[in-house]
Formats: sequence, C-alpha cells, structure tokens
Amino acid sequence: MMNKRAKISTAVVMGFAAVCLSWTVVSMSAQAAPGVQEGFDWSGEKIYNRYNETPLQAMTGTDGTRTLNTFYERRQYPGSPPTIPHKVAKTFSGDTTKCISCHGRGGYDAELDAYAPVTPHPENENCFQCHVPVTTEKLFVETDWESVSPPKLGRSMMGGSPPPVPHSLQLREDCIACHTGPGAVAEIRVEHGSRGNCRQCHVPQVTTTTFERNN
Amino acid sequence: MKLNRRSFIKSAAAGSAIAAAGSIFPGISFANWKEQQDPSGQITWKKAPCRFCGTGCGVLVGVSGDRAVAVKGDPNCSVNKGLCCVKGFHVVQALYGKDRLRTAQVRRGGKMVEVPISEALDIIAAKMKETIKQTGKDSVAMYGSGQWTIPDGYVASKLFKGCIGTNNVEANARLCMASAVTGFMTSFGIDEPMGCYEDIEHADVFVTWGNNMAEMHPVLFSRMLASRKRRKNVQIIDLATRSTRSSQASDRSILFKPNTDLAVANAICYEIIRNDWVDWDFVKKHTTFHKGKTNIGYGTEDHFKFKDAPEDISFEEYKEFLSDYTPEKVEKISGVSALEIKYLASLYGDPSKKCTSFWCMGMNQHVRGTWINNLVYNIHLLTGKISTPGNSPFSLTGQPSACGTVREVGTLTHKLPHGVVMKEEHRKMAAEIWDVPLANIDPKPTYHTVEMFRALDRGDIRFIWIQVTNPMITMPNLNRYRNGALKDDRFIVVSDVYPTPTTDVADVILPAAMWVEQEGMFGNSERRTQHFDRIVPGPGETMSDTWQIIEVARRLGYEKQFPWGEDEYIGKIWEEYRRFHDSPKHNMAPYTVLKKRSGVQWPFVDGKETRWRFNSKYDPACKPGSDFDFYGKKDGKAWIWARPYEPAAESPDEEYDFWLNTGRVIEHWHTGTMTRRVPVLHRAVPESYVEIHPEDAMNLGVTNGEMVKIISRRGEVTMKASINGRGNPPRGMVFVPFFDETYKINEVTLDAFCPISKQPDYKKCAVRLEKA
Ligand code: SF4
Repeated sequence: MMNKRAKISTAVVMGFAAVCLSWTVVSMSAQAAPGVQEGFDWSGEKIYNRYNETPLQAMTGTDGTRTLNTFYERRQYPGSPPTIPHKVAKTFSGDTTKCISCHGRGGYDAELDAYAPVTPHPENENCFQCHVPVTTEKLFVETDWESVSPPKLGRSMMGGSPPPVPHSLQLREDCIACHTGPGAVAEIRVEHGSRGNCRQCHVPQVTTTTFERNN
Repeated sequence: MKLNRRSFIKSAAAGSAIAAAGSIFPGISFANWKEQQDPSGQITWKKAPCRFCGTGCGVLVGVSGDRAVAVKGDPNCSVNKGLCCVKGFHVVQALYGKDRLRTAQVRRGGKMVEVPISEALDIIAAKMKETIKQTGKDSVAMYGSGQWTIPDGYVASKLFKGCIGTNNVEANARLCMASAVTGFMTSFGIDEPMGCYEDIEHADVFVTWGNNMAEMHPVLFSRMLASRKRRKNVQIIDLATRSTRSSQASDRSILFKPNTDLAVANAICYEIIRNDWVDWDFVKKHTTFHKGKTNIGYGTEDHFKFKDAPEDISFEEYKEFLSDYTPEKVEKISGVSALEIKYLASLYGDPSKKCTSFWCMGMNQHVRGTWINNLVYNIHLLTGKISTPGNSPFSLTGQPSACGTVREVGTLTHKLPHGVVMKEEHRKMAAEIWDVPLANIDPKPTYHTVEMFRALDRGDIRFIWIQVTNPMITMPNLNRYRNGALKDDRFIVVSDVYPTPTTDVADVILPAAMWVEQEGMFGNSERRTQHFDRIVPGPGETMSDTWQIIEVARRLGYEKQFPWGEDEYIGKIWEEYRRFHDSPKHNMAPYTVLKKRSGVQWPFVDGKETRWRFNSKYDPACKPGSDFDFYGKKDGKAWIWARPYEPAAESPDEEYDFWLNTGRVIEHWHTGTMTRRVPVLHRAVPESYVEIHPEDAMNLGVTNGEMVKIISRRGEVTMKASINGRGNPPRGMVFVPFFDETYKINEVTLDAFCPISKQPDYKKCAVRLEKA
C-alpha cells in the first residue's frame, strides 16, 4: 500500500506532468496596445504568445488523434499487441517490408492524415503474427474479460524526479520509438529524447515492495 | 468555415486532450476493457505453455487477485524467447467468455437441466455400469484430445484399458498426428522428431511441405525469418497446393497438384541418386531398403482392415522403382516443372547446405500420409541430412499436447503408455504399474477414431465420453456421425468449457476447468514437456478433466487405482506415469524439475535434455562408439521405403469438378470455441469463407462476398466467396477454414483415411460449386 508521503509526491508530479510540455524558446516582445493602462505588466502575455506561435503538433507531439486513450483502446490489457486501426489489403501477408515502410521510421501519411507510430521491434518480420485488423466490432459471445488499469503517469518518487518505467521492456526496449517524434502518444512524448541514454535516469519498476532485511 | 490544416489539427487536439485526462486523473476510465479494482496494484507473473498450438510457446500469465489479466511471452522458454503470436498474447481472454459452462447438465425429458456435478458423475458411473452389463465392455468408449493434459490422458487410459479392460480409447490427435506416428514407426521404429527447434538457427535451406507455417506455426516461422535475415544465405522454399502467406514470405513458391507430393518426393530421390549426391557412408552404415503393399485402399467402408507386409529390397531394386519418377514424368503428374524438381533435389543434394523440412497437416491429413512421411525421410536419409543441428526432417504437431498426451501416453486404441496392447511384455508392464490383473488388458485393439464413430452410428458403441474436443464439427462426413450420435440408445457425455455443437448432442455435460484453472502438463512438437500450475480458480462447479475421470473411476469401484488427494494428484500421477518411460530412450524429467523450468525435453538423462536423437554426440541412448544409431529398429538402421504415387480417394470429375481443401487461419484455434470468444480474434475473422480463384469466380459469376454453394456427394454448405483474399487456391480448387460452426464444412468432406495410420484426409475431396 502506498504511504501518505508517496501519495502527495505523486499528486505533485501529476500536476507537473500536465503542464510541463516543454517546447523551444521563441523570442517574444511585449507591446503596448491602445486602451491599456500604462505600466501594465506584459510578462503574463508570454504564455499566450508562445501558445500561438508553437505549432500544436510540436506541443502535443501528435497529429491530435493519437493519445493514451486511443492507445489503450486498441489493446486488451497493458502490453498486449494493438490491433491494426487502418485498412490493409486482404492479400497483404503482413510482411515487414511493407509495414516497415511507414512504421520503421514514422512520418506523415497523407492518405490516413496521420503520423505513423514507430515500432519498437522492427526485427520481428512476421507482423501479422501478432497484429491483426478489425473487420467487425460485433462479438461472437459477450465477454467477462477484465484487466488491470493501465499504469498512471507521473510516478516520480519526488517532485520532478525521473519517473520509473512502468511497463515491461520486453519487445519495447526502444524508448525513442514510442516516446519521441510526432507519431508518439501525446501524453508520454518526451522532448529530451536526444539524451539517448534513457535508462540512465528511468529505471524499470519491477516490484512495488520495499526493501526489508530478512536476517 | 473552411478548416485549414492547422486549425483542423488544433480542434482534434482539443478533443483528445480531454480524453487524455483519463490517464492523468484516476477514476476516469478509458479504453475498452473493464478495469479490475485490484487493491495491490500488482500483477504477478506465472509460467505456462500457451493453450493453443503445438509450437508450445511459453507464456507468462499476469495474475491480479484471482483473475488472469495479461500475458507476456516467457523469455525463459527457448521455444519462443518472449515472443508469442496473436492467439498466445490473448490466450487468457479465452477463460472469460460470458457463456462459460459453470454447472453440470443432464438431459431430462428432452431438455438439459442443471444438476450438482456430483449427481452428474453418479449418473455417468451408473450408465457405464449398466451399458457394460447389457452390451459388454467394448460398448463404452472414451474420446479425448491432443489438448488433454498429460494426466487427463493417463487416467483415461488407466481407467479404460487397465480397469474396465476395453481398448476403446481414442483421441482427436488421430485426426491430426496419426500419419506422423506411423511415419516415424515405419522409418525409425520409434516416435517423435529427432531434432529440435534449434535446427532453425542452423539450417541453410528450409522446405515447407504443404505447411502454411506463417499462420499455423507463426512463432517458428518468424524464427525462420529471423534466421534468414541474420545469416543472409538462408533460403525458404514453400511447396504447397495453394498460395498462402508462407508462399509470399518464401524465396520460392512451388505448387503441386493434390496428393502428388508422393511423386515429387520420389523424383527428388531419383535426382539425388542420378547425380550421385548420396551420402554413401551414411546410407551403407545406417539404412536398409524396403517396400510394402500397394493399392492399399481408402477406408471409406465400415470395418475396413489393412495390414502392411514389409519386404526387404536391395538398393538396386529401390533405384529401379524410382525409374518411374524421373523429373520429366513427375512434371506430368504433379504440375511441378522438371526444372523445379531438379532445383529442389540440388538443394537437398548439396553437401554444403544444411536442410530442414517442415510439415504438418498437409502431409498427415493425406490418404497416403504414412507414405509421404516415409518419402521425405528418404530424402534426408539418402543425403545423410538428419539428426545433426540444422539437418532435420521435422514433423510439426498441431495441438499443444498431441505429442505429450496422445503419442507419449498412448491414448489410442492400440497403444499403452509404453508400447502396444498386442505385446505381452508391454501389457505386463502396464498391469504392474497400474496394479491391475494382467488379464484385464485386452490384447486386441478395437476402433480407431473414424471407426469408433461408425461403431457409435451402428450401435456397437452405446456410451461415449468426449473430453476437450468438438467432433460434431471436426469429424469428416459429419452428417453420418451426428445422426449416429443422436440415435436413441446412445449415451453421450461431453466435458467442455463452452457450449458447442458437441454439447448440443450430449446427454450429460460436465463443466470443465480450463488450461491454467488446473495443474497439468502439455508436451509440444520438440519433445518438450511443459508443466503449469493452477494459476486461477475456475468458475462455478468446474472440475479438471483428470479429476472428473478419477471421480467416475471411484464410483465404478477402482479406488485402489485412483487413490490420490486433490492437492497432490498431478504430481503423483506424473511420477507413476514416468515409470513407463524409465530408459535413456525416453526418460522424462521428474516433477520437481518440470515445476521449475519453462519446459524440459525428453529423453532427460542424468539431468540433461537430449536435443538431437540418434546422434551419439548428443544422445546418450546411442550405442557407445557409434556415430549414428537408429535404435528404434533392432539393427540400429533406419528404413528407406519404396512407396509409389497413388491418387486421392476422390478426385474431381465431370460432375464434381473442384477440389475442396480445408484448414485453419492464424486467428482461430480449431473449431473456434475458445478463440471466437476472444474479442481481438473474432473481430479480425468473424466468419469463415470459401477461397476461390478469381477466374473460377468469374466463370461462376460470383464476386467477392457473394454466396457460393459448395456441394459434395455427402452434403452442402453455402458461404461467402473470398477472391484474392488471404490465400489463393489454384484454378479448380477451393479452400475453406473449418473453425466456423455456422458453416459446417465437414458435412461436405470425405471420411477416407490413410490405411496405415487411419488418419482422415481433410485436404482432398471433390465438390461442385453453384452461385447461391
Ligand atoms: S505459435 Fe502457437 S503456441 Fe505460440 S503463441 Fe501462437 S498459438 Fe500459442
């Protein structure tokens, strides 16, 4: 069970994560507008100027359609292989070369008007082995399936400290693939991907128990 | 207002920002699964083999509270090293269909009524006693499955063969693996592959014989692709009767006409000998030549009997036999060009290339299934490409425990856990371990599966207990066998997890525990035994199939043979069963080792697994000083067989002018009782269809999705056409996936079988098509 202090720090970090979408600094100048009092402090305008000048793509990190919500909608439990949300030809065999042309490095696809998410495991060549299309929404029989909640964001132990990796790294060892770039899910996109050595700061959380001496 | 691109993006983003709040503020739920309120917030991971195919991938089942909630590939399992296929990744969802059978049901006044399970077990035991008294012990039967756990099969065999004294024990693996077994027995005298999956990382050439591995053994297929990518010089040749995803991924796709793989294999051997690519050292030391009966029939009539009469022949006689199979002659029979045959032979014949052949249902569900198994072994024996890493004739298995439960435990009419009922020394061993009088075990086999259902139809069998399988979808020529099951005076008990067309004909339904709701073991294609614990409780009154049999056995008065307690029975059964295999040729790992590891290969000798059998470098059962020792045969030599090409039981003619071929798709397991209840899998392939060549469709006047009536001499099915779909049959053939109970394609298929293995051929019969 989480103790009180941990709860507080988590809450702080959640708030922090919500506003802390960093973007490149753009130069701004305050200007006087007609009808506004002399001596008004214009520094508060900065945020609005910045908002207007930053393309939303860079702010949300996506084309606006790929969020944690859609991310989990395509999965049955945290970590399950997602279904294919777009049309694929019936004859298509799911071989990598064709999937990889979009999902290898990402990029904008005009037909779907979306940025392709990048696969973290391009070495697996038989894509249809795990990823299948959806051809109907109807079920054969209703299901009683339940799964656990997806991991919450903002699990840092202290305000601002790097959060641990909340998911298994199996098939998802490549952090850059999912956490950077315009195809990344908005809420988990980071701006410091260029640092490269992700696990220098973010370590997998493999247990929630605390250390206890047992001798 | 015209939205320019940027404002479009902005408004979309605003919408998604609200949705995104769900992930940040707890309590707002999103995504399409019901979230479990788990107080600990922890998932614990427990190992198990995947429930579905014979690949036998290891999975880690994520458990929260008393529910399975997630899956990972087991990185400790050498089969799949952490990667599953889409079925494996969603296997836990198969437990949670809303219509799980939770209580026992009994037919009263034509209606099924729920009763306590103990009452249902009483009724079963009483009915068995009564039937044995009235019509004899051979009128009660057990029909099980390659999806039975090893203990399930073991107690079934012990009860029926040891205690009741009838050999009426069969399993659906007869429909899937019997030709593989008789292939091994006739060529090597001992069952199951000599190699292991590690062959995939060593082989330079893969030939898949009628085996769409991309869909049916996907994890092995991707291992093959990964090996090709890493090592560059690897080739995959797909040899099949229709084009599939495997053909698309292969370096070369070669199509042959149905049943002519026999001729192609012989032509490859002809070429190997003509070019003197024979490994003479190997052939002289380790092989002998033989022939058997020809024109052996198809078993479509009741009481069909066949016994082969093997004769020794010389190499010269074998060579003479092959002269009918020159590439040019075989081109005419098979449609494979002489050039392609020579090319295939040159790959097998090149001493610098390691060759692995893979096959499964294409060669096994074949009216000459035993023969084609023999013939592919011939290729590997002539070139000495066997039992060494990468050189492997590899017979893959379909079901998760067809090897473990049916082939190793011997749940077939002629088999015992060690050996066969016909041999006294094997009966003696069984009687001793089972603690039953020797006279109990009947030396005469009774019915193989098709004949068992014929006997049910005729009335020779009055009581049948069906576990973990769905024969009212899977029996070929289904109409006859369903009508038989529905006759008065037939008593059908079905143990299953969901309602199926087979529970529809039942007089008693027992709700079974499924997969990790019970402890058990499976045995996969590469001689790997895989233990799993009871990881989550089953719903309602569900009970493991093993325990159901034990309960009935005790009610029949066999407490002495079934003495175990509910908390220990799996371990005790395993240790008893292991005594049957106590030799370096087949030693099984102890229970404690199985519990710890993600699968252990047998023979397990002095704490070590045997990866390549018959090769003294790896296999301690080989005679000391030998290089290879095929110890299944008395003289240590493998058999090369002269087996001719013979046509299918029913070929297209003027009236019925198409071949019908049936099979699976990656998303669905067998009859779909489990996979259709997994949302992702059902949503991907919600119904079956008939694949038809575009030109045939045009002649028929149907377009994609229009209805086609498929008619044979036995029945008809009307379903949607799939043109240029996932697979593409050649002109003159249609293909139907059999998983969909709405379209019972087996009402159309033919119950012809291989006379040696008695395994039916689901891949070939004649039909005609009509636009519906
Ligand atoms: S390949 Fe077979 S055993 Fe492996 S995950 Fe898929 S269905 Fe399960």
